[in-house]
Amino acid sequence: MPDFLEALSVAKRYGGIVALSDATLKARSGEVHALLGENGAGKSTFIQILAGAVRADSGSITLGGERFAVRNPEEAQRLGVAAVFQELSLIPDLTVAENIFFRREPLSPLRTARAGAMREATAELFARYRFPAIRPDQELRRLTLAERQVVEIAKALARDPRVLILDEATSALAPRETEWLLGLSRDLAAEGKLVIYISHRLGEVRRIADRVTVFRNGATVAAYDTASVDDDTIIADMLGRQMERLYPERRNTTTGRIALSVKGLSVENRLADLDLDLREGEVLGVAGLQGHGQRELFQALFGAARASGAIEVWGKPRTIRSPRDALSGRDGLALVPEDRRNHGLLLAKSVRENLTLSVVKRFTRFGLTDPKREAKLVDDMIAQLRIKAGSPEQAAGTLSGGNQQKVIFGKMLLTDARILLLYDPTRGIDVGTKGEIFTLMRDLAARGYAILFYSSDLAELVHVADRVAVLRYGRLAAILEGAENSEHQILRAAMIDTRAA
Amino acid sequence: MNLARHRSILFAYLGLILLLVVTGLVAPGFLSPTHFRSLAVLAAFIGIVALGQTFVVIGGGIDLSVPWVLNAAAVLMTLFAHGQDAPLVWIVPLLLAAGTLVGVVNGLGVGLFGVPPIIMTLAVNVILQGGILVYTGGAPPATAPAAIQFLAVGRIAGFPVIVLLWIVLAIVATLLLSKTAFGRYLYAVGSSATVAEFSGVPTLRTSVAAYALSGFTAALAGMLLTGYSGQAYLGMGDPYLFTSIAAVAIGGASILGGSGHYVGTIAGALVLTVLTGLLPALNLSNGALLVVYGAVILVTVALASEALTDLLPRRRARRIS
Repeated sequence: MPDFLEALSVAKRYGGIVALSDATLKARSGEVHALLGENGAGKSTFIQILAGAVRADSGSITLGGERFAVRNPEEAQRLGVAAVFQELSLIPDLTVAENIFFRREPLSPLRTARAGAMREATAELFARYRFPAIRPDQELRRLTLAERQVVEIAKALARDPRVLILDEATSALAPRETEWLLGLSRDLAAEGKLVIYISHRLGEVRRIADRVTVFRNGATVAAYDTASVDDDTIIADMLGRQMERLYPERRNTTTGRIALSVKGLSVENRLADLDLDLREGEVLGVAGLQGHGQRELFQALFGAARASGAIEVWGKPRTIRSPRDALSGRDGLALVPEDRRNHGLLLAKSVRENLTLSVVKRFTRFGLTDPKREAKLVDDMIAQLRIKAGSPEQAAGTLSGGNQQKVIFGKMLLTDARILLLYDPTRGIDVGTKGEIFTLMRDLAARGYAILFYSSDLAELVHVADRVAVLRYGRLAAILEGAENSEHQILRAAMIDTRAA
Repeated sequence: MNLARHRSILFAYLGLILLLVVTGLVAPGFLSPTHFRSLAVLAAFIGIVALGQTFVVIGGGIDLSVPWVLNAAAVLMTLFAHGQDAPLVWIVPLLLAAGTLVGVVNGLGVGLFGVPPIIMTLAVNVILQGGILVYTGGAPPATAPAAIQFLAVGRIAGFPVIVLLWIVLAIVATLLLSKTAFGRYLYAVGSSATVAEFSGVPTLRTSVAAYALSGFTAALAGMLLTGYSGQAYLGMGDPYLFTSIAAVAIGGASILGGSGHYVGTIAGALVLTVLTGLLPALNLSNGALLVVYGAVILVTVALASEALTDLLPRRRARRIS
């Protein structure tokens, strides 16, 4: 059977960044084809090209034997390609039916939308694909996230596409709806359609995909019949081999003293009953696929999210209601947040004001700030972290990303807190500064700090952390140390059930 | 103060000087010492109301309740004092505390319950207005006690008392903004409440304090203004809504918060007062006068605003990577 969709050597650059260098995917109609790869491997760019949202720089794509070069999503949809993205495109003020037929409304002779016809067509569509219980006339804003995701799928199906692309469509769905979607994918394939299925959940892929294609660093590295390949091979393909001398030598500086002990920590339904111990002098890595509770863990520990459970800091029970609570005192916890620009820095304010924002009281005498004492704190920290700024009065927003991150580190290091919560501290930072930050982390650990370290880059966890806690569905899936602390094992624990639940 | 980072304040003073020069050319008698003294007194009222407004705006909010906080303090003072000086000993502290309390309510509504500042303070303004109308039955109350009149129009060694009071308040405000932890926190909250929160800044306490200060200065201005006009009357606070915000804006504060200084607001208050004094010389009808007044303020604020100063050549911040 000839390939229905054939994409050969597709490439795409954004300025100096290569998003795709050599992406090849061949898929037949009547199959479910899984597309796998780490975050940043180029999967999103690739499907955006198929969906007409992005144009490829080079490469060739044919669909049903004809050249496929679409300029916009409309054209892609006309040629029978419909995509369901992670970001929803629905309008909260419209009903389910109005959303599904948005901009394609059946019109009356007076060119008004025929609401009744839309409702009927929607009901028909729902019946045909056995959609979960959603009424066509419900207002979208009343639906849950999972239900909206289902509507998004309905919207794509309403155009009766020849190719349906599902990008992490199950990540927002509950188990029952997930089952439905897996069944739906098989049914569509049986109808002779092509379903391109992107998911981090290997279990799902294994159940429904006929074939898999693996992307790494913008290129296709492997394609298999699902039945002929094991999970470990797929994971190894996703990771590849990277050797970099980016990481400092790791000496174990962990003492027996427990800095932070978390018992039964739960945050809504995102983090469930988590137990974790962080020791003095230790860098404890946290890993997990996107949205498996890492963010909630850090927010809860810093008092930025409501949580239940018990937290002990340096052996004493502690309740943390706000970041101010968390930061205060010698038994404090300091956070380097994920979002530098919106959570970390006052961009328009000077490096000096940013650095000392959390410790203004320290150079205040008789109610008035003392510029000399402040200057000393600032100068010392700029020197210690080698922050490259024209002067302490330079606006923080004009620094490079790496130096902005150093300012946030400096602000937190000036506090008395000796437990550091670092959430993806090297994201979007140049390699040189990354190295400096890793060295700083190991130095701080050696000085008795205790560091909880999340990174979206597994290699960092493997090379910098002493142990790695892997989260899956908001639960602790594994704690890996020593030889077990490898990218392979982390990804395995994050994706596959390694122990009975 | 670092002038490079307070360019807009510099612009406010340049504008003031320009305005005075033009005034001197158009109406030479306008800048006589006597006239100038009465301008300073009028500017003091705007300056005092705008003091609290400056803090609120720097903190990222806005206080639209000043007219009737001012008016309520004025009316209640005359009602309670019956023209006598002695009761002022408890009346003045009580009303200052009441004004502060109104500010606290504003601050809690905004900071704790998340009501948008415009809605919260506007609602409080209307509630106070209604309350005072009900309480007084719409009848204008008695005259101002002599002691208050002295504060508003009296002089010490030829210097207007209220201007001296304004200078003292200006020093306190400048210290608060430039030299205290509260000042730091206020700029941080106005720049980004989230970043401030993540940095351990007591964000709620800080913004409540700013609104409280605005309630305090509005109440203070209300009592002083009663002394100036000799009596309290309904509606006397209304002009101060516009002028207090305009003074802050002319003074170079971003209405979005996080920047500005009381030093700039002082220039703003003076600019507004000179304008008000100058326009009657144009021999216009009352209505036409208001039109011109509004238009001139609009242009002045636009000139002082960030949008325009950004277009002017600026020492480029060096990007270091």
